[in-house]
Amino acid sequence: MFQVIRRFATSVSNVADIVIIGGGPAGLTLGTALKNSPVTKHLKIHLVEGGKIIEPLNSFLETPPPNYLNRVVSLTPSTIGFLDSIGAWSHFNQERTQSYDDIVTYDGVSGARMNFEHPDIATMVETTNIQAGLLSRLNELNSQQEVKLVIQEDTKVTSIAKDSITQWPTLKLSNGDSLTCRLLVGCDGYNSPVRHFAGIESRGWSYNRWGVVATFKFADTEFRFPTGWQRFLPTGPLALLPLPNGYTSMVWSTTPELAEMLLSLDETEFLSMVNAGTRLSTEELSMIYDLAKSKSPDLLEQIQWRLNLFAGKLKPADEENFPLQVSEIVTGSRARFPLKLSHADTYVEDRVALVGDAAHTTHPLAGQGLNMGQEDVKSLVGALERATSRGLDIGNSLALEPYFSERWPQNHVLLGVMDKIHKIYSTDFAPLVAARSFGVDVLNSLGPIKDFMVGRISGNSKR
Amino acid sequence: MLIVQQFQKRSFIIPSLISSGLSYLSKDIRLADKMEDGELHFPKTEFEKSQNTSRPLFQRPEPNYPGHVPLYNFEKLLMFLGSSIGAFVNPTNNNFIVSLGESTAFPWVLNRLRTQMLNDPSGRQILKERPHMTSKSLNLDELKNYPDNSLGKSYFLWLEREGVSPDTRVPVKYITDPELAFVFQRYRECHDFYHTITGLPIVREGEIALKLFEFMNLGIPMTGLGALFAPIPIKSSQRRRLLSVYYPWAVKNGTICKPLINVYWEKIMKKDIDVLRSELGIEKPPDMRELRKKARSKKKQVA
Repeated sequence: MFQVIRRFATSVSNVADIVIIGGGPAGLTLGTALKNSPVTKHLKIHLVEGGKIIEPLNSFLETPPPNYLNRVVSLTPSTIGFLDSIGAWSHFNQERTQSYDDIVTYDGVSGARMNFEHPDIATMVETTNIQAGLLSRLNELNSQQEVKLVIQEDTKVTSIAKDSITQWPTLKLSNGDSLTCRLLVGCDGYNSPVRHFAGIESRGWSYNRWGVVATFKFADTEFRFPTGWQRFLPTGPLALLPLPNGYTSMVWSTTPELAEMLLSLDETEFLSMVNAGTRLSTEELSMIYDLAKSKSPDLLEQIQWRLNLFAGKLKPADEENFPLQVSEIVTGSRARFPLKLSHADTYVEDRVALVGDAAHTTHPLAGQGLNMGQEDVKSLVGALERATSRGLDIGNSLALEPYFSERWPQNHVLLGVMDKIHKIYSTDFAPLVAARSFGVDVLNSLGPIKDFMVGRISGNSKR
Repeated sequence: MLIVQQFQKRSFIIPSLISSGLSYLSKDIRLADKMEDGELHFPKTEFEKSQNTSRPLFQRPEPNYPGHVPLYNFEKLLMFLGSSIGAFVNPTNNNFIVSLGESTAFPWVLNRLRTQMLNDPSGRQILKERPHMTSKSLNLDELKNYPDNSLGKSYFLWLEREGVSPDTRVPVKYITDPELAFVFQRYRECHDFYHTITGLPIVREGEIALKLFEFMNLGIPMTGLGALFAPIPIKSSQRRRLLSVYYPWAVKNGTICKPLINVYWEKIMKKDIDVLRSELGIEKPPDMRELRKKARSKKKQVA
């Protein structure tokens, strides 16, 4: 008898309307957006995160670290508009964000280039800044409301099962608690436990490439407007994206063995290597890669020789066709991550929804990954608002289906486009290089088509 | 008759109409030109008028390196046509060979050679130092004191036997990229070392055999054209000897031997030439002068 009562008591005290797994940008945005909406703010929401986030994120805002962190993403105007509409954007540390108007991409083999211009075409923000801003907004919302969003940090989900009576998802947490909910939302990344629980298949492939990231400072040789640079090398694109005060965030997608080589260099060698990567021909680069792999002691000297030759040949008028050289690296900012394409067969099951990386991962070449997740959140919140105002059970497939049917096709198109761009550029086969360069030259001179593309990547023409 | 008359009439009327129309418009055209140049509101002073600031009708782009003559593609094409016919008709004229070589040294060919050099330590050193071979830089006078059978001594003896000098090499003029121009210059200057190491003489037959060897090894188009067309106008006995002895040798050795463009000849002058040959993977072909002598004496005996 006692046992029955106790079990009853536990299950009552730990029932939530929505449980969000994962305190990354997607999870925090979803929590904030739901609490911000007048329709859904009364819902009882738990956010479960495996790591510690509250203390580090608060201290990020109170005493920002002196250096830029290496996990930086580019936000589209559409994403920023959404963050602003839920009241979070003003909580960001604005001094650490950098918006820019101009993106230049150039072909590493033929040099064919493309310019995308649009006011505030993208904004670079550290992911920690995003999380901290959202958490700050969430605290503000919590202080104004009776039903508060509960963040359970440093808590791992040990198992997910269906409740035997209600068929609702029931979580066992590492602190011994159990949690039952009407709707379980997985914002828990690529290896999403929620997706596994729901039995949703995710399909795709590894690109067999790694993204090497690091934070640099540009050499202070001349004034430049902040510009996003991307050079398509046959091994993968090398992007230098602007941060405030002449700093820049690099993502160099490359083969696993080259990524390993890049991480094994010392910092001055790595700097030279990045400068070589933005300028030198693929033949010169392959020589330099070989020297670096064999740990040649005169690597720096050889790179400098080729860079000097390059600078000697460059006409003053063409100098602005290349990014400035980087001259300083933020110590310890080097890291790498694997690149893969994956797309879940569906985003929703009965009482389960997937958001962000749990549903899809993509190549970072157009900086769309996080923005797609933000669009997911926007759409899911809309679906939940409609369901709530119509008196539907928010865990019901009927309530969730609109989210899936709106987002899946759009994400699928974007994933496909990124995949094709990656494939077109990952060869140096001469006829293909000629064809893609011709295509780029034509596109670059067709204003309206380019404007359409800019609209797509900056998320303006979606609605 | 009538038509002719009418035509004549019209041929008088139409041009006069056009010219009167133009003279009517020309005032406007001149005015527009003046406005564009800003002379309408800010007329030129006497001093400015005295300065001749107009650009010449045709101007070549700036040279990329000393001695460079930038050519347009159609000029390169004309040069190729002229020099290829000239070289076929009169192969002993060095001007034709030189221009044929430069007009067919396409960037992708030289780029491939440069890539080969970049990926080899000594090739890289050559690219970095950009050495030029002259009789002075090679210290010809010292070479004769080198040990017998050393590369330096053999080179010296070969120069003496053939009566040539390393100073007769023409500088590259028409290749756009300075580094690629150096690569081609380097090929040109090393040509005599290829003679030395293979022992082929500078008679027409020897040059043809060496051209095929070079083409197989370096892939320079001019050498391939030479190997293809040069044997056509020569004596049939010579052609037979080329095809039966020297072409098979050139194909085999040119393909298997290491890229000769990467050899820093100046630095290995003291090396034994036989050792060098085996390092590079070249077999010495039969002595061409000997074979020719034998053939000639045989012919005499028959006669």
